[in-house]
Amino acid sequence: MTDVATPRPGVKRFIGVDFDFGALRKASPRYWLWVSVLGVFLLLGVVSWSQLLTHGGAVAGMRDNYPWGLWFVDYMYYIGLAAGGLVVYASVHLFGAKQFTALSRIAVLQAGVLTMMALMGILTDMERPIRMMWFALTPNPTSPFLYTGSAAGGYMVLCFIDLWVLITGKGGHKLAMTMTLIALPFAIYMHTTTAFVLSMNKSRELWHSAVMVPIFLTSATASGISLLLIFAYIVQSVTQIKFEPSMFRSLSTLLATVMIIDLFLLVVEILSIYWPTSAMTGHVIRMNEFISGGYAWAFLPILVLGFSAFFLLSRRPSRHIPAVQITAAAMYLVAVALKRYSLMAMGFARNTLGQLTGIFVPSPVEIFLALGILSFGLLFITVAMKVLPMETPVDDDEEHEHYGEARRTDAVLEAEVNEL
Amino acid sequence: MSQDRQTPRVEAEAAGEFFGGVSRRRFLKGVGAAVGLLAVGVLPAFAQELAAPNAGSGGAEAAHEAGGSLEGFIEEDAPVNYPGEPVFYAPPVGNQKWAMVIDVKACVGCRKCVYACVKENNIGRNSGFTYIQVLEMEPGTMELESSTLDYAEGGSPDNWYLPVQCMHCAKPTCVYGCPVKATWKEPDGIVVVDYNKCISCRNCIVTCPYGARHNNWVEPEVPKNEVNPKVPLEVKSGVIEKCTFCIHRVRNGMTTACVEACPVGARTFGDLNDPNSAVSKLIKTRRVFRMKEELGTEPMIWYVG
Repeated sequence: MTDVATPRPGVKRFIGVDFDFGALRKASPRYWLWVSVLGVFLLLGVVSWSQLLTHGGAVAGMRDNYPWGLWFVDYMYYIGLAAGGLVVYASVHLFGAKQFTALSRIAVLQAGVLTMMALMGILTDMERPIRMMWFALTPNPTSPFLYTGSAAGGYMVLCFIDLWVLITGKGGHKLAMTMTLIALPFAIYMHTTTAFVLSMNKSRELWHSAVMVPIFLTSATASGISLLLIFAYIVQSVTQIKFEPSMFRSLSTLLATVMIIDLFLLVVEILSIYWPTSAMTGHVIRMNEFISGGYAWAFLPILVLGFSAFFLLSRRPSRHIPAVQITAAAMYLVAVALKRYSLMAMGFARNTLGQLTGIFVPSPVEIFLALGILSFGLLFITVAMKVLPMETPVDDDEEHEHYGEARRTDAVLEAEVNEL
Repeated sequence: MSQDRQTPRVEAEAAGEFFGGVSRRRFLKGVGAAVGLLAVGVLPAFAQELAAPNAGSGGAEAAHEAGGSLEGFIEEDAPVNYPGEPVFYAPPVGNQKWAMVIDVKACVGCRKCVYACVKENNIGRNSGFTYIQVLEMEPGTMELESSTLDYAEGGSPDNWYLPVQCMHCAKPTCVYGCPVKATWKEPDGIVVVDYNKCISCRNCIVTCPYGARHNNWVEPEVPKNEVNPKVPLEVKSGVIEKCTFCIHRVRNGMTTACVEACPVGARTFGDLNDPNSAVSKLIKTRRVFRMKEELGTEPMIWYVG
């Protein structure tokens, strides 16, 4: 992988990137088995989508009481997971966190593919995809829906440009820095507007909260870093790419910090629903569904898993153990997935006329469609890991220079503080 | 004593510092940040003005000050996202402002309005929704959470009944929420859906506080001999529909199907622009309330008890 410059059989150069198709030919049977499994699920997903297009939404589990179902849960989840990639990428270029450099290409690839999966959810949910053109022709500026869709589309493009910049090294550190400065606010914009789709509805009591925006950012970041951490361990075990233990330690510290902010916001939200001086009937009666009602099985584990994961990572002596890191990250990934499901249900568990609507259960068509999109994403990553040069070449000089720069800025700041 | 107090201040000024050791540059930065924050704070209000440019603030209050005039409501009820051309399934707009008053004291919960509406508006018999939803309310409370939608046929004399349908709000969240302007408010106050444009994203269902919007999850089926030729049917497949105040009838001088069907005369429909219309008189003279008025959607259906 390190001798990218020397021409090898099967390597095709396109837009300045070496696509190593030869590696696919040399891939192990295990690799091809994995690819075929994904292919089967992808095919099932395509069949499900065609069912949805021919028979209409009735074959999905959605109804007027649950106008948005599994695709919306996945949309929120994938958009959130995409955040982790950016945090790592931004840490490298903005804060000189050089321990993350080795991870930056993988992180950006992960963010781009996840955003693509989220967008595929919207596309396959449209009963008449051709009418998507009205988004461009007569956009309504007061609709939050418009912003999240366009933000996700833009962010996906940004991620793939970022990946190209990282692989080709075009523009050097300066361009990478510029890309970060564009991508970071854009990512915040994307997560904010996704939260707006929920929080900007005065019709849905439990969604109509300003905390929805920061909690989206923290849940997104926490789940994103968790996924990245697990993904890095998987990459390490199935490819030649190796990471420093210090990188995993830094990731875990960052993860624990974001986790506790996320949990804090959630607890504050629950408190403001139930506190006697702020409790409102509409809120309390809906939240009861999640504390003691039909959705308790999905909501209570969020708190249990979340706090357990935080305690696992908060203990300094055990934080560096890979098994602890992986367990905590996996727990939080499940917690956030349940949180997304609960969040969808919070808007719909009782409808706007106060009627109980029953538990949302996705139909087989919906499930296979979601699995199809998931396998598409996994397939994309599986092939990209093989074909694209995903390992960051060691370039000590540039790193040291950059690191030094960061230190210098710190020193200048310190001097200023001392002066004052 | 006074000298002691004065000395540090003089020193501070000499060093270019004031306000407890904050340098001028930092102070100016702070002011800049504060101004920036204020500007950001003002933006939402600005956006609201953009969203409803014709909505004079405090219209309702103005109405009460003018001694029972409905001027405020009429002004408030301005077109939103109106594309300026007639709806393909209805006659052109007149100069009325449509509104409805429902007498909840009279309503017996017989659901005659629901059935008449289903027939009149070609609602798919397999669609699983109706434009009008009658809630059986518990005595002593307005709380929707304790109401029943699927109560036994005929209703009971121990409960009271609250018929809910599209309120044709003056500030319709569904219209604000539609990403592609496939739904809008006509100049006569009717909120309509363009069935040929709707992308079925269901954002309007999510954002409507009255549960008034419904998606056709199946192709709507209506027995051939019951199809109303004045109302579209096939184009509604896979898109959103809702109460249109019987736009095809009221713009031809008729009243709505639900008003006609009500056996106890609980429903009154009419023109707010006409001060002598039954609705204008009822709203001006009776103790009325509007559903979820605290949300500020300014519904155009009033209830009288």
